[in-house]
Amino acid sequence: MERFSLLLIQSYEAVKAFKLRTLFCLVSVALGIAAITIIVAATEGAYKKAFDIVASFGPDSVMVMSGSDEARAIGQREKTITLSDVEAVRQAFPTAYIVVPTTWAGSVIVSYRGNRYQTQIVGSSSDYSRAWTWPVAEGSDFTDEDIRRYANVGIIGQEVARELFGDQSPVGKFIQVRNLPVQIVGVLTERGTSPGGGSLDNRIIMPYTTVMKKLQNESRYVVGMRLRFTDLENIDGRVEELKTLLRYVHRIPDRQPDDFRIFTSKDIVKFLVALTGSLVVFIGIVGVISLIVAGFVLANLFLLSVKERVKEIGIRRAVGARKKDILMQFLTEAVMITTAGGVVGFILGVVSAQLLTYVAEFPVYFSWKAFAIGLVLSWVVGVGFGLHPARQAANLVPIEAIRT
Amino acid sequence: MAAPVCIMENITKSFHVGDQDLQVLKGVNLTIEQGEFTAIMGTSGSGKSTLMNLMGCLDVPTSGRFILAGRDVMQLNDDELSELRNEHIGFVFQSFYLLPYATVLENVLVPTLYREKKKDHVRDRAAELLKLVGLEERMKFRPTQLSGGEQQRVAICRALINDPELLLADEPTGQLDSRTAEEIMNVLTRTNERGKTVVVITHDADIAAYARRIIHIRDGIIKE
Repeated sequence: MERFSLLLIQSYEAVKAFKLRTLFCLVSVALGIAAITIIVAATEGAYKKAFDIVASFGPDSVMVMSGSDEARAIGQREKTITLSDVEAVRQAFPTAYIVVPTTWAGSVIVSYRGNRYQTQIVGSSSDYSRAWTWPVAEGSDFTDEDIRRYANVGIIGQEVARELFGDQSPVGKFIQVRNLPVQIVGVLTERGTSPGGGSLDNRIIMPYTTVMKKLQNESRYVVGMRLRFTDLENIDGRVEELKTLLRYVHRIPDRQPDDFRIFTSKDIVKFLVALTGSLVVFIGIVGVISLIVAGFVLANLFLLSVKERVKEIGIRRAVGARKKDILMQFLTEAVMITTAGGVVGFILGVVSAQLLTYVAEFPVYFSWKAFAIGLVLSWVVGVGFGLHPARQAANLVPIEAIRT
Repeated sequence: MAAPVCIMENITKSFHVGDQDLQVLKGVNLTIEQGEFTAIMGTSGSGKSTLMNLMGCLDVPTSGRFILAGRDVMQLNDDELSELRNEHIGFVFQSFYLLPYATVLENVLVPTLYREKKKDHVRDRAAELLKLVGLEERMKFRPTQLSGGEQQRVAICRALINDPELLLADEPTGQLDSRTAEEIMNVLTRTNERGKTVVVITHDADIAAYARRIIHIRDGIIKE
């Protein structure tokens, strides 16, 4: 143990003594590790975010949207889902414990005593809160009775509530939605931003009947529907059956594309992975390249160092160091420097990731995993690129080393 | 009487220079008994450095029989030679050869790093050796903060830390003024008086005079 600690102390002394070598190696390793740290954190962040989204979307949930797959902005696709489709689905899937028609009107100006705000109105049946696992913080959901009566009631998102009411409680108060007076019956909990970056808290939920009749003058079509299944294990099969059913009721010929789209929580994860994926690949390439560059910097500086320290190697060999002792010494020095570089790089990675989230709403999450991967990689660089110079040092002939 | 520390019989050493073989040692016969204080004298080019390298097991003879500390050197591989140097030979060089970035104490401890048979209390032993040469106050100093004489005394402590059979000093006073040289030779003499076998290689007759036995080497042949 004493011998090992002596080896460490002596390597540390050498690392300290050859400051320029240490500095250059450390900085180059740190840059590479910083990039790697960000990747690991970004990947973990993306997965964690995806996990959160799946949890809030509900793994048993399926969303059916009007309109085919062609690239059009959400809300501007033609409406193809009808209320009778919703009813047909409700009849056909006994394991769907929630089937909720959804429609919406975007960019609607709402006001309360002169406070105006632009928001979107979501039309839903009385199960909105349950369908989206989105609890009501204050007040309550509207009722089936409200649906039947085309009631002018609504549940308000946190952002609109703040903008219209400030610190006051909105429950029981009337707001203007276009020209319609609507009574607020509940306030949704805070939800944050969607994977696309928009605020989820800027919305008002109203009975779909009211929205269709009084805001859209629409009797048949909705934007989509949301389902939740009790048999989560069969969800892939259910999605296929749903597709078949909708194609049948829409009378779509065999080789024609669907006029609707079906989303599951898997699709949402895919979307998020695609979003962060390209950035991760970019930083990944940068990280790997800079680690390789760091490795060559290290190897070259160590080769120079071996040349400078030929005499030292000669002395050590004369007093009994075996080849493998010299090898170990130079490797220890290399690994010591790259380990320090790894730690510095991790800190650098954490700081720049904070900047990245600040600039680009990029999900990052730091765990021991990011740190461990960085550390292991720095060791790999230390051993991998330190080996050649260390071998050169070990293979010096003692008498020649001393005589130089 | 104990076995000799070093037995050399008909030792030759040749080097390849270009495509020629240059024979530097031409049949050396030499026995060094335990507790001897021997000086090997010769001019440059006489082969004394080559002899010193062989005796220190830094190099192996081309032919002959060479026993050191009871081991047949001709039969040893690189690792075994390292072990032999580590345990049985202490080196003192003309230019001290201390590690510049390590402290005095760490320099003395370097050979213990490579010792297979671990010894306890190496630090205490190093401190004790440094005290014997009057450097107990300098243990935390760097070599550059010491005078030449002090550096050489540190080197002697380093040579003795593993308690070797043979202390091999190559021109140990070559870079020192005569007063300091005398100090160093006194340290070596005291070391010999404590029972250590000492061999000094030098070209200086005044230095050789400290030894009880003087061997001359000329053109690769020993003359006593």
